[in-house]
Amino acid sequence: MNDEKPAIKKLHALSSENRRFTFTLPLRHKIRIGKRSYEVKLKSDEKYGTHILWKNRKYPVEIIRSRQNRYEILFNDISYIFTIETPFSLKRLKVLKQSTGKAETELIKAPMPGKIIDILVREGATVLRGEPLLILEAMKMQNEIHSPVNGHVTRIPAKGGTNVMKDDLLIEIKVE
Amino acid sequence: MDLSGKNYKAFTERQEALKKQYGPGQAEKQHSKGKLTARERVSLLFDAGTFEEIDAFVTPANQPVEFGKVERTYGDGVIVGHGKINGRLVFGFAQDFTVMGGSLGLVHARKIAKIQEMALKMGSPIIGMMDSGGARIQEGVASLSGYAAIFHNIINSSGIIPQICVIMGPAAGGAVYSPALTDFVFMVNRTSYMFVTGPNVVKEVLNEEVTSEELGGAEVHGRKSGVAHMIYEDEENTIMALKKFLAYLPSNNVENPPVVADDGLTPDINEKLRDIVPDDPNKAYDVKDVINLIVDRNSFFETAELYAPNLVTGFARLRGKTIGIVANQPKVLAGVLDIDSSTKGARFIRFCDAFNIPLLTLEDVPGFLPGKDQEHSGIIRHGAKLLFAYSEATVPRITVILRKAYGGAYIVMNSKSLGGDFSFAWPTAEIAVMGPDGAVAILYRRELAESKNPAELKKELVRKYRDKIANPFIADELGYIDEVIDPALTRKKIISAFSALSNKWVKVPARKHGNMPL
Repeated sequence: MNDEKPAIKKLHALSSENRRFTFTLPLRHKIRIGKRSYEVKLKSDEKYGTHILWKNRKYPVEIIRSRQNRYEILFNDISYIFTIETPFSLKRLKVLKQSTGKAETELIKAPMPGKIIDILVREGATVLRGEPLLILEAMKMQNEIHSPVNGHVTRIPAKGGTNVMKDDLLIEIKVE
Repeated sequence: MDLSGKNYKAFTERQEALKKQYGPGQAEKQHSKGKLTARERVSLLFDAGTFEEIDAFVTPANQPVEFGKVERTYGDGVIVGHGKINGRLVFGFAQDFTVMGGSLGLVHARKIAKIQEMALKMGSPIIGMMDSGGARIQEGVASLSGYAAIFHNIINSSGIIPQICVIMGPAAGGAVYSPALTDFVFMVNRTSYMFVTGPNVVKEVLNEEVTSEELGGAEVHGRKSGVAHMIYEDEENTIMALKKFLAYLPSNNVENPPVVADDGLTPDINEKLRDIVPDDPNKAYDVKDVINLIVDRNSFFETAELYAPNLVTGFARLRGKTIGIVANQPKVLAGVLDIDSSTKGARFIRFCDAFNIPLLTLEDVPGFLPGKDQEHSGIIRHGAKLLFAYSEATVPRITVILRKAYGGAYIVMNSKSLGGDFSFAWPTAEIAVMGPDGAVAILYRRELAESKNPAELKKELVRKYRDKIANPFIADELGYIDEVIDPALTRKKIISAFSALSNKWVKVPARKHGNMPL
């Protein structure tokens, strides 16, 4: 992107489970199975799209969604979520985490008046960001209410089949 | 070039002094806060080697010229200039927090005003990167008048050149009106904040403890207040997104948006579109799935994603040409129109209208959100903004009704009689004054009251209403819909419709300006 700066040679990928992988550019990776090590290559051409080449077999990889530095990747029918960080941005991430990072409680409130049709989680359950928590019927539509954060459900004041007003507390989540 | 000659001594000394001012110590300070320096930002934003700085050596208004005694501070806390972004001329300024806290003094303000006036004359976009402690207290009212001049320039340029603001640090007090007046505001999560009065004043006046982040962080302005349109996790991503974003916009109001080469990878006929709207009218779907299948692959750039997500707005391309999209989002709040979504939509439509960007509306709206909360907060006058914006827009306007189009909301969402150019409907469309349940309860009140089995009767009547009235065919036969189309053909149909409208010209009545219900 910027010609003046030396090209970035090393990148980090953080998975949604907070595992860190470091890789070099251009991508060349060795994996070790038992005592033997194999080279894995990432290729892309018009005929097969993007794929990983290992032992002369092609394994297709697809980027399902990319947002900023966050990628959702489909490989062997399993989707993985990663964020890509440069060494500089990784350092900054640590700095910012220290300055803001305290576990908080996220309060899920009713976005509009309606009726609780179903509660999809239980107290103590671990929820991921974007996971549906409950179904609220309003405007004759069944609206899924999603978790905005990763965390644990600590309290569920909402009850199935009851009417709620706007801003009524539905679920409490302890942010991880 | 040899600059060691005596005549060049002062010249080179100044250059050295400037370099020293922006030395590594300053960078370290910014980096430790998770921020980049103003110089780094400028070099990331503009194409390599294209940025030309002007007024680099101005000194603060109250710094006396003494014969070499005082260490001079150059630039007065802001870098201004012009350069190329993706090969197009863009003007820009970046406030520099490492020089006098980026505070705005008279000279600082004059520099910004100068570049604003240039941008307007040349008809080029202007980008402001804000990172400032606010007005320079020592300069008093001169600093305030500096702000006022900047605001006045923004308003003069409004609707003529795109003006974009990027908040990369604090913006407090009067400074916040500068972003508020521009067309789009980008913000960096966790390192930037905006508020009219800071946490200290809040504490003093209201005795309320609040952090800067809670009061005016990116999350707050992106989700709740709607002041910021685009939120990113760090500055590099913000700048990259901004460069991408600019490629959708024309340089000024008499140009058309740039056209990119079409890669031809998006099929014009896509059968997946037939299966997106669920059979059950009470089930939701993601309207962004529809958008992504209609527009050029990967071309959808959503604006104000977190604010009022029940109405999706954004830019995309059709065969390489920019369009603006306004779409109800059934997945969030059933896609209702409320106060926030109405103002969000209205502002977006007016931007598109000012900059010759054709509008595509994807409609699935159950109506306006009922309730005391909305009525008391003025849904009538806020909803009227959306109506006003649509009706006033003279750019090509196409609507595709995907499912629900009920009552007042149908009228507002670019209906044909509001001046929409083409209205298409999918066979799944339901166009009526009211939804089946509500309508049946009114139309058959007596029958339902007298019936022995009202629930059963109601079910039957609702089914009949849905078949006979809540469909797109009546509107089609009356000419309020131009065509009921096969969803698979949507992209093909709207491409040919937009191409038919490409020379659209509307004579607007001579007047100072309309009186939009603000």
